[in-house]
Amino acid sequence: MTGARPRVDGPAKVTGAARYAAEWRAADLRHAALVTSPVPAATITAVDTSAAERVPGVVAVFTHHNAPRLRPPVGAPYGGRLPLQDNRVHYEGEPVAVVVAERLEQAREAVGLVRLDYAPLSAETDFRAVADTAVPTPPARWGPADTTVGDLAAGIAEADVVLRAEYSTAARHHSPIETSATQAEWRDGVLTLRDATQGVFNVHAVVSSALDLPADRVRVLAEYTGGGFGSKGYVWPHQVIAAMLARELGGALRLVLTRAQSFTSHGYQPPTRQRLVLAATAEGRFTAIRHDSLSPTSTYGEYVEMTANGSRVAYACPAITTTHRVAPVATVLPTPMRAPHEGPGMFALEVAVDEVACELGIDPLELRLRNHAEVDPTSGKPFSTKGLLACYAEGARRFGWADRPRATGSLREGDQLIGWGMATAVMATMRFPAAARARLHADGRVVVEAGCQEIGTGTYTIMPQLAAEVLGCPPEQVVLRLGDTALPRTGMTAGSSTTLSVGSAVTAAAEALAARLALLATGDPTAAVRLDGIELTVKNGAVEVFRLDELFARLGVDSVAAGGSWEPRENQRSMHTFGAVFAEVAVDVDLPVPRVRRLVAVYSAGRIVNPLTARGQMTGGLVWGIGQALLEKSTTDHRLGRFVDKNLAGYRLPVNADVPDLDVAFVEEYDPHASGIGARGIGELGSVGVAPAIANAVHHATGKRVRSLPIALEDLL
Amino acid sequence: MIPAPFDYTRPTTVEDAVTALRAGGAGAKVIAGGQSLVRMLQRRLVRPTLLVDVGCLSRMREVVEEPDHLVIGATTTQHELLHDARVRAHAPLLSLVARHVGDPAVRHRGTLGGSVAHADPAGDPPAAVLALDGEIIVEGPRGERVIPSAEFFVGPFRTALEPDELLVGVRVPKMGEGWTVHYEKFRLSAQKPTLLGVAVMVRRVGDCFTDAHIALANSGSTPVRATAVEVALVGADVTEEAVTKAADLLDGTMEPFARQGVSQAYLAHLARVLTRRAVVAALSW
Amino acid sequence: MIPLVLRVNGREHRIEVEARVTLLDALRDVLHLTGTKKGCDRGECGACTVHVDGERINSCLALAVMQEGREVTTVEGVGTVGAPHPVQAAFVARDALQCGYCTPGQVMSAIACVREGHTGSDDEIREWMSGNLCRCAAYEQIVAAVRDAAEAHRA
Repeated sequence: MTGARPRVDGPAKVTGAARYAAEWRAADLRHAALVTSPVPAATITAVDTSAAERVPGVVAVFTHHNAPRLRPPVGAPYGGRLPLQDNRVHYEGEPVAVVVAERLEQAREAVGLVRLDYAPLSAETDFRAVADTAVPTPPARWGPADTTVGDLAAGIAEADVVLRAEYSTAARHHSPIETSATQAEWRDGVLTLRDATQGVFNVHAVVSSALDLPADRVRVLAEYTGGGFGSKGYVWPHQVIAAMLARELGGALRLVLTRAQSFTSHGYQPPTRQRLVLAATAEGRFTAIRHDSLSPTSTYGEYVEMTANGSRVAYACPAITTTHRVAPVATVLPTPMRAPHEGPGMFALEVAVDEVACELGIDPLELRLRNHAEVDPTSGKPFSTKGLLACYAEGARRFGWADRPRATGSLREGDQLIGWGMATAVMATMRFPAAARARLHADGRVVVEAGCQEIGTGTYTIMPQLAAEVLGCPPEQVVLRLGDTALPRTGMTAGSSTTLSVGSAVTAAAEALAARLALLATGDPTAAVRLDGIELTVKNGAVEVFRLDELFARLGVDSVAAGGSWEPRENQRSMHTFGAVFAEVAVDVDLPVPRVRRLVAVYSAGRIVNPLTARGQMTGGLVWGIGQALLEKSTTDHRLGRFVDKNLAGYRLPVNADVPDLDVAFVEEYDPHASGIGARGIGELGSVGVAPAIANAVHHATGKRVRSLPIALEDLL
Repeated sequence: MIPAPFDYTRPTTVEDAVTALRAGGAGAKVIAGGQSLVRMLQRRLVRPTLLVDVGCLSRMREVVEEPDHLVIGATTTQHELLHDARVRAHAPLLSLVARHVGDPAVRHRGTLGGSVAHADPAGDPPAAVLALDGEIIVEGPRGERVIPSAEFFVGPFRTALEPDELLVGVRVPKMGEGWTVHYEKFRLSAQKPTLLGVAVMVRRVGDCFTDAHIALANSGSTPVRATAVEVALVGADVTEEAVTKAADLLDGTMEPFARQGVSQAYLAHLARVLTRRAVVAALSW
Repeated sequence: MIPLVLRVNGREHRIEVEARVTLLDALRDVLHLTGTKKGCDRGECGACTVHVDGERINSCLALAVMQEGREVTTVEGVGTVGAPHPVQAAFVARDALQCGYCTPGQVMSAIACVREGHTGSDDEIREWMSGNLCRCAAYEQIVAAVRDAAEAHRA
């Protein structure tokens, strides 16, 4: 049942038949376009929309003068300010007006004619400049801001080597190829949104509360979402605007962010400044770890990049202190981005470990083995399942790590310096409550329903596999309906949580359906059932075979349904996924441009339901790691208070030619604690540990130590 | 953004195109493949009132062989330059460069004449045309005019073309005996524009360089010839040391148009390394 | 507004558009052929790749009015869910897609890449498929799909 299975939404996607949020037809469809602030902080002193209103086809222009009033949203994370409610600007790119027109080009034309005068206010966009105003953050939803175990000073005093170093990572943008888009319809007092989102229930909560609409008058749909990577997890102003305009004007309306707007209309991964203290004995035993993280948040809201989370659990160490501080700057609120927290954080820790290994003259892998954590060193809890030692061993074997010469600069091929580096990947396992429903029809079709999203991770494919496994039928007999707030409630598709959370609920629903079928067929709900086409085999001592059409006719029903749900309970264990990443780089001798030549990664992530789609998650994650290491950086012009290159040429993404040979494997595993199906999460794990493995390989090749991402040419000259 | 509104015409003869250009006055603009122009229209960096589409002028799409020259029609696409047998045989530098322009989709629409007329200092084809000592053939109300490439590029996105003139073709000398070519391009990642490009044509007789043409893309406000390197190479031995010595004469005073966050020192270093590599690669062509 | 006959996937469409409307917007908003995607609207992502007279181009950098007399082929014109093009089938078999938004552009580029013969090695495929961004980064799988399709094409 489970196993490699091509994705069921593949044929619709490769033929263009799959319809995304902004692609639904409506006879009365109108187009909305945003006007955004060119300055990071200001008071809007004058508004003139007359020229825009004169553009043929323009239906309405809204600013804070005439926009409907909104209420503060509740019930889900909202990353913006309420749009068009006052004359204040808090970040460059904040929506300040919106135009609605009959045709897209009319709306776009009119956008350029809306005149707003701004009285600029002083604004700081450089978080380093306001580092001294950084505040200890209150406990975030990802755990406490600060932790401490053991005696840090004693650990440092005991050490033979103490590394103190500062690391930094760049601001990055998610850049899904589908920019955020919302199509909103107001008909007969009901608001329907088709949204490019990672969380239909989040959108529902924010929109219904902001517009003060009863929950049952709002429905949010997302049949396909064209990538998110975190950008479509929180709810942002454009979604509220589209909903507000649809209710105000009636009918259907489409709002699609331009690529440039996608750099400021939702959050980004904040840059980080991380300070590490890593102390070790001459034998390579860690005695103290301190990880202090600083990152920006917005002036109007709080987001904490929890970069030191990984340092809390990665290695056995008697003294570990971690802190997180945020400094407010005039930007849109930063937000999680694949991989949040551990993504930037493990870069610092894992380069530091490599530095200490070099200092001690111990092989970097050996040093990690000597400090392997059998239990969570901060909480003291056992891990739910941890196969990291097997990852190290298998990864090293596949890579050929044993042949690595210790000295830097010792591998050379012509004009190329070759380097080998490795790093550990650790990622916290996120879990959300989820519910699902399974219905068996007389023709044998099983319809599973769960209000989650398909953002490309394989949900349409995997959930039927899990239900089919329970029912004993081929997965082709099961279809999943998702992306609809009218369906059973699930969490966001974020934090690598969907397969484990929704999968557990789907399995529960399928089990409930099986029990109900057993009961209806034989009177005994514990009898084993097996479905094949329209034949239902029930084994209850004797084996009986029923035809569904006959059985259902006898029972007088068209179908049989059952619900199931799952919620995370177990908290006696520390839940994380793990991996070992090995990188080979080549650095041109004259033009020190690092190129990744191969990556080997082995993961401990619990049960893998579909190896085909899971591999795609991991290879995709590795490429994200290459982007983080070598390419991706959003530069802010602090004089203008704005990102410089809000396009896909200036913001460098990996392309096909940047991708080397990738070798990915999973440790065979079943985690009985993390979920109901043996799985933990994988989507984000693949992008963790890659950048430090590459940076460490660059050091091995060149002797140059890189402590900031992305690696700049100047670092290697 | 969306382009400001404009009128559109698609003449079928060069004469009609020139007439349309003249009639359109300062607001008229030629569009060929549109690969640069549409981007600029979208951002309203240019706001023409009339677009004259020259995509249907068959004369401008021809490659004509003359005894010592090749005349390449302005609307010959990069894809065609890459595959045209006569271009590959007689002006292989243009074929080599074409492979480096944009991406495959862009190369199917982007044209040689468009690229030359656009005069992006970071453009690859202008550097190649300059290295080739190509001539720009222009039609206007005053008839045909031929402009040497050394006089054609006058500034960033600025050329010697008059507003009512149409670039109809590029004439380049056929490559003679003993010449070899190479184009070395560096970009920060596969999808970034050129940070530096070096177009090289060298001629060797025996163990000695007898001629050298070297032009750089994105090392100034126009494509430029590396004259000092050319002079040093002529008469020099064909050795890596001699090439390195010549390439090191690039003095680092270049003013790259698109700097892409890279320091002046790095660019100067890059220019020397790429020039050395381009000459060496040309030798093994 | 300019009246225009646009020939798309073998069918003639009589439409009226402003001269400044791109082929991409005409396909999506006028003809409702939404298989062709808008990712950047400035020639940087390849999601809008279509064939014009058999050659792959970025439809966001082409004006609709310039396509009169030409044959435009979109992803809807090369295969269907029931009868996919071999390249489309290879993409599904190799899992060369995730969110699917760049996929139509990748497919159109891949069909052209196979036809152009730039499939001699994985490196050549990587180079000639590098005009199409895939943020899910299914690049390895895309290369495998193109390789499979090219082998089938040669056979």
